[in-house]
Amino acid sequence: MERFGLRWSRLGNLVPVLFGITVVSFVLIRLVPGDPASQILGNRYTPEAAQEIRASLGLDRSILTQYGIFVRSAATGSFGESYQYHRPVGELLLDRMGPSLLLVGMTAALCALVAVPLGLLAALRRGGLLDQGTRVFFTIGYALPGFLVGVVLILVFGLKLRWFPIGGYGTGFAEHVHHLVLPAVTLAIPFSTVLVRSLRSSTIGVLDSDFITIARLKGISGSRVIFRHVLRNAIAPVAVVFGINLAFLVGGSVVVENVFSIPGFGSLLVGAVSTRDYPVVQAVALVLAVFVLAVNVLTDVVHSLLDPRLAVAVAR
Amino acid sequence: MTPEPTARPRPALGRSPFARRRLRRAVLAVGLTLALTASACGGGGSDSDPAASSAPAATSEVDTLKIANGVAIDTLDPAQNAANESIWLDQNIYARLVQTDPTGTKVVPDLAESWTTSEDGLTWTFTLNPDAKFADGSAVTAADAAWSINRAKDVEGGWGFLITPVTKIEATDEKTVTITLKTPHAPLLADLAMYAFGILPQKAVEADPDFFAKTPYGAGPFKVTSLDPDAQLVLSRNDSYYGAKPKISTVEVSVVTNDNTRVLQLQGKQVDVIENPPGNLLEQLGANPDLKVNLFPSTRVDFLQVPLKTKPFDDVKVRQAVKAAIDLDALNTLAYQGNAVPANTFFPYKSLYWDESITAPKPDLDKAKQLLTEAGYADGFTTNLIAVSGDAAGQAQAVVIKDDLAKIGIDVTITSFEQSTAYTNERSGTNGLGLRYWTNDIIDPDEVATFGADIDGGANSFSSYWGDPAVSKLVNDARSETDEAKRQEMYSQIQQAVYDQVPFVPLAYAPFRYASGSWVNGFQVSPLGNYNDSLLNLTVGSH
Repeated sequence: MERFGLRWSRLGNLVPVLFGITVVSFVLIRLVPGDPASQILGNRYTPEAAQEIRASLGLDRSILTQYGIFVRSAATGSFGESYQYHRPVGELLLDRMGPSLLLVGMTAALCALVAVPLGLLAALRRGGLLDQGTRVFFTIGYALPGFLVGVVLILVFGLKLRWFPIGGYGTGFAEHVHHLVLPAVTLAIPFSTVLVRSLRSSTIGVLDSDFITIARLKGISGSRVIFRHVLRNAIAPVAVVFGINLAFLVGGSVVVENVFSIPGFGSLLVGAVSTRDYPVVQAVALVLAVFVLAVNVLTDVVHSLLDPRLAVAVAR
Repeated sequence: MTPEPTARPRPALGRSPFARRRLRRAVLAVGLTLALTASACGGGGSDSDPAASSAPAATSEVDTLKIANGVAIDTLDPAQNAANESIWLDQNIYARLVQTDPTGTKVVPDLAESWTTSEDGLTWTFTLNPDAKFADGSAVTAADAAWSINRAKDVEGGWGFLITPVTKIEATDEKTVTITLKTPHAPLLADLAMYAFGILPQKAVEADPDFFAKTPYGAGPFKVTSLDPDAQLVLSRNDSYYGAKPKISTVEVSVVTNDNTRVLQLQGKQVDVIENPPGNLLEQLGANPDLKVNLFPSTRVDFLQVPLKTKPFDDVKVRQAVKAAIDLDALNTLAYQGNAVPANTFFPYKSLYWDESITAPKPDLDKAKQLLTEAGYADGFTTNLIAVSGDAAGQAQAVVIKDDLAKIGIDVTITSFEQSTAYTNERSGTNGLGLRYWTNDIIDPDEVATFGADIDGGANSFSSYWGDPAVSKLVNDARSETDEAKRQEMYSQIQQAVYDQVPFVPLAYAPFRYASGSWVNGFQVSPLGNYNDSLLNLTVGSH
């Protein structure tokens, strides 16, 4: 642990954060007006029927009791039963986790494949055609809202060229990947922008540093300098940017999942909020929060692996 | 969403002056149906020959129909459904004792090939079709049927309340189900035709707690072969089905929540039928020679809720003034692109006992101003109007109503909430006017009358808190009135009372919206929203 620049105390700090998240998600959804029983009954709402439903959902118990039940069910991973789907929330989460993780994974992979070479080349040929070109393209891509980019991609690659399916998720892994190409590209454009720009600037910083000049004077070949010395040193700050943005990606995926009708966490959360499906909202909020925290911790680990100075600093 | 179901029946038999002879009429109706559909293959309108009941009568060029729905499947347990899209799918999977015909105006046999009623109307005896089998090949027994109906009746927050007068549902022999009531209940057949009372294979359901989450089946024309509630459902033809087999072998239902994405999928020919295309794209879709816009009459009634609990709406003249000021035609044009029908009563359009003789109100500003003056509000007043955010049609209606009421000095502030909050705010009856809608679950109007016009019916007359003892009595009497003509008269009086006293203002009869490829032949939706009858005969051309 220590050598990863992590101390147990840092992990210990996550406990109150998680506790806070459970409280906030539990309380917030209950503060929103509108109650699950009336949602379920709609026009057939009668006070007696609503009371019956509230009792069957355990909503007639004290708030503290309900919170206790939620925490216990979260600890076991069952998260109680969804009001809307009549299934354990844990099962729903497992169903929905695949599409969301695959989407985030494909986006991250796409970004790495695109951003690393482009960022490096833009730095090496500063002011060149590629540098200017990527700057213009990504500035536009960054400024456009995700749903618009998504619709444009659907129109061009889905409707006109017919290369990719228009929305949905298909069945079987190959089809899932095929369905997720356009949504991943939609998410990757703004995400890559940040990576390309930060890699370019950190690369430029490294290129201008003394040890690179010395390495070159020593006669080390150009490519070896780039990959062994420049990239390794330039990538560390980018890894941090990558980690922070990965957390934001989760938010962006909610919009993209809606445009492309992908059955992931994002669409589950939106649906559950509008139907006041308390157990689902609480569980999704908690899982997303844990994901973000985990990414933060991993970012620290990766960063310290790439930059040994950091581990020393943290250990102090 | 409120369940907008799909089951729909009607006390056997059309209106006839010889209303007292119920038993004979029942038998006669059944006989007629048999003659029409040869061997009681329910699902009305199927004109297949009886010999075809073991093999598809004709095949479809393409044997798979692809439907894109906008809502995920909540569950395929018919007793637990809430999402309409799931309910409409249920009806392809689970046959019931009886079903409604495709026009949604009468009850025809399904698994029960005939039924009789005792003279006092308290005992109903259903005889099962001997050919009825579940998709696993096992025979449908009276025990399965009785167990399924009892199970649905006992689900909390389910549909048991519809058949409250029922005291006993039992299998009296292998093929006979007997239902006992404490009071006569005219809507009984309509209730039993509802999806919730689908007949299930008792042993299979009891043996597997996850029966409905895997590949559920019943005795309907299709069975589930794969189910991913958030993404896709695959139905395949049930070869054990007792009636004429569907011409298509597979139905793939995908869940595509984004409205525009569904339209793009249809334009790209990736799907054959889409549910609920956005209203503002209908013209564009209709102009495409490869596509069709399908509008089907529904049982949806949009209405303006008026809160009698608060001044000045406790004065009937104020409510009448509001009604006289609203231009229903303009509302139809703006909210529904002219595809709806202005509402004349609070009963669904052309539904059972709907009173055609009442005419939809036309705007009359002079009369409206005069009524307001008589009520003591010559200078108008201010009020709120609750609308649902994100509901394009509702938002358009809100703007038209605000504009119309401004003409008579009523200053309306539109307050938008998302659906759940809007309902809660409307229900207390203290937050101003509200936009709401009703849809039938059964073809019988007992439900809409109880919830809309009986202050003691449980819903406070659609939260208007309007009560009229005479009307409440009519609602309760009509429920157990077995004479068709008398029942029609009672429901006409109820509709007229609502028209005159304006506890709420019916606004529009909105259609179900679908769009499909021109290569799809025979896609039809009944007024209750189900399309299982049309899938029996539908064909898909190559495209």
